[in-house]
Amino acid sequence: MARRVAVVAGGHSKFGKRYDATMRELTAEAYKPIFDEGITQDKIDASILSYAASQFTGQGAGSALMADYIGLQNKPHLRCESACATGTASLRAAWGMVASGLYDVMLVLGVEQMNRVSSATATEYMSRAGDMRWEYPFGVSFPAFYALMASRYMSEYNMPHDVLAKIAVKSHHYGAQNPKAHLPKEITFEEANNAIPICRPLNLYDCSLITDGAAGVVIAAEDRVKEFTDRPMWIKGIGAGASENMIQDRPSLTSIPGAKYAAKAAYKMAGLEPKDMDMAEVHDCFTIAELIAYEDCGFAEPGKGREIVENKDNYHDGRIPVNCDGGLKSKGHPLGATGISMTYEVLKQMRGEADKPSRQINDVKHGFVHNVGQSGQFVNCFIYERGW
Amino acid sequence: MAEKKELYLGYTTDKAVTPFFQEFLEHLDEERLMKSVCTSCGEEYLPPRQHCQKCLSEAKLTEMTEREAKLYSYVIVDFAPETLSSKQPYVVAIGEFPSGLKLTAHITNLTDMPTVGMPLKLGFAKEGEGKMITYRWLV
Repeated sequence: MARRVAVVAGGHSKFGKRYDATMRELTAEAYKPIFDEGITQDKIDASILSYAASQFTGQGAGSALMADYIGLQNKPHLRCESACATGTASLRAAWGMVASGLYDVMLVLGVEQMNRVSSATATEYMSRAGDMRWEYPFGVSFPAFYALMASRYMSEYNMPHDVLAKIAVKSHHYGAQNPKAHLPKEITFEEANNAIPICRPLNLYDCSLITDGAAGVVIAAEDRVKEFTDRPMWIKGIGAGASENMIQDRPSLTSIPGAKYAAKAAYKMAGLEPKDMDMAEVHDCFTIAELIAYEDCGFAEPGKGREIVENKDNYHDGRIPVNCDGGLKSKGHPLGATGISMTYEVLKQMRGEADKPSRQINDVKHGFVHNVGQSGQFVNCFIYERGW
Repeated sequence: MAEKKELYLGYTTDKAVTPFFQEFLEHLDEERLMKSVCTSCGEEYLPPRQHCQKCLSEAKLTEMTEREAKLYSYVIVDFAPETLSSKQPYVVAIGEFPSGLKLTAHITNLTDMPTVGMPLKLGFAKEGEGKMITYRWLV
């Protein structure tokens, strides 16, 4: 029988173009608040480094460097990689190690440094996650995969771009209130709807950011939780899914099959339903991805995600608040840190510690995390429950 | 032995040309697009794969006789990966043949905005520095 496991602490670096730091300093910045809460190195049994793309820095074997830099040089560590879902993949692996009894307390640290290369080079690196023989030679970039979904979705459901622009406006509204955000500024609907095209039908404000940053959480087995906090966040449900590698081989482009499966599995394990969720952090690498996530996670019926947008149900005081930290769009998307940052945000919201009342979600008992890698080849969903 | 070929528009690091892929490229050079068909269960693959995804048996290259398709989805790439920067903007399309097989390639002769469902025709052309034949969609 698996032991119950809780998130007991979290830390988060400033996200942005961090020319003042390298991965090691970012990692220390994310661990410091955890250390300050009393979870010193001697309390940690092992760590996992969530680090998606070593080509950006050239640094191989990153977990050895990071563990050493923050004083965990004698504790077992490993690196996990699942593209943009690396953060939650690392958490899923760590959960298994703690639930099984292998370790009691683990640090899961996510980090990425992406701004030491140009945007074109970064786009190049990310496009190599596509099929190198059949997709990459045609220049199918990371935004292009999501634009292929957007074209199909907009055609099947006769949806104008306006809906996507409203999602970007919401993301920036909350990012502007998050001191950790990469691009903390409000944007207007007109700006979002008429920005320069990147991969039509997606424009600049439909795309997430190329970000440097780190985030960390500590998880602990149930009989050790009280040593660290009286406000634990229990891992109640985990679901993981996968989808066809080539996007043309998917049965549908209006949904991510692996995300639907992952969400269902998470609800089943938790014994909960979409209506029980008080907030969600979803993988909005592009605005269309957030819209599809509403449907894949069960917050809207297929094709009806736009109603959530039009009714502003996704705002902090709405039916299902989504990405009230700014999301990947405004807070930023340092690949390996993203899934950990989502988890950190649920912990902050549950504890009533959002930076401003204007983005604090009221009375969060259950929070949902949806983290997608690549264009859906990797998906992890987590359901968290307030433990006090 | 024929000179080894690569399928590329800009650049690819997948340079390990296997005998199976070499054969695909030689057919392509003669403007024949090949799918593969499983010798055991008959499952068809486009683009071709050497091993059947279902039963892992060998799949053999077989010529695609379908030439007409419909636009399943598209993207106009305005900001390209570094190695294709000189070609932007370009249009990547997924076309669906009547058999249900799909193919990802550029549409190269558009004069107006593409629309999902529009008819496409399979075409061939020489591309890139190596002047390799590649497949493309035409409207």
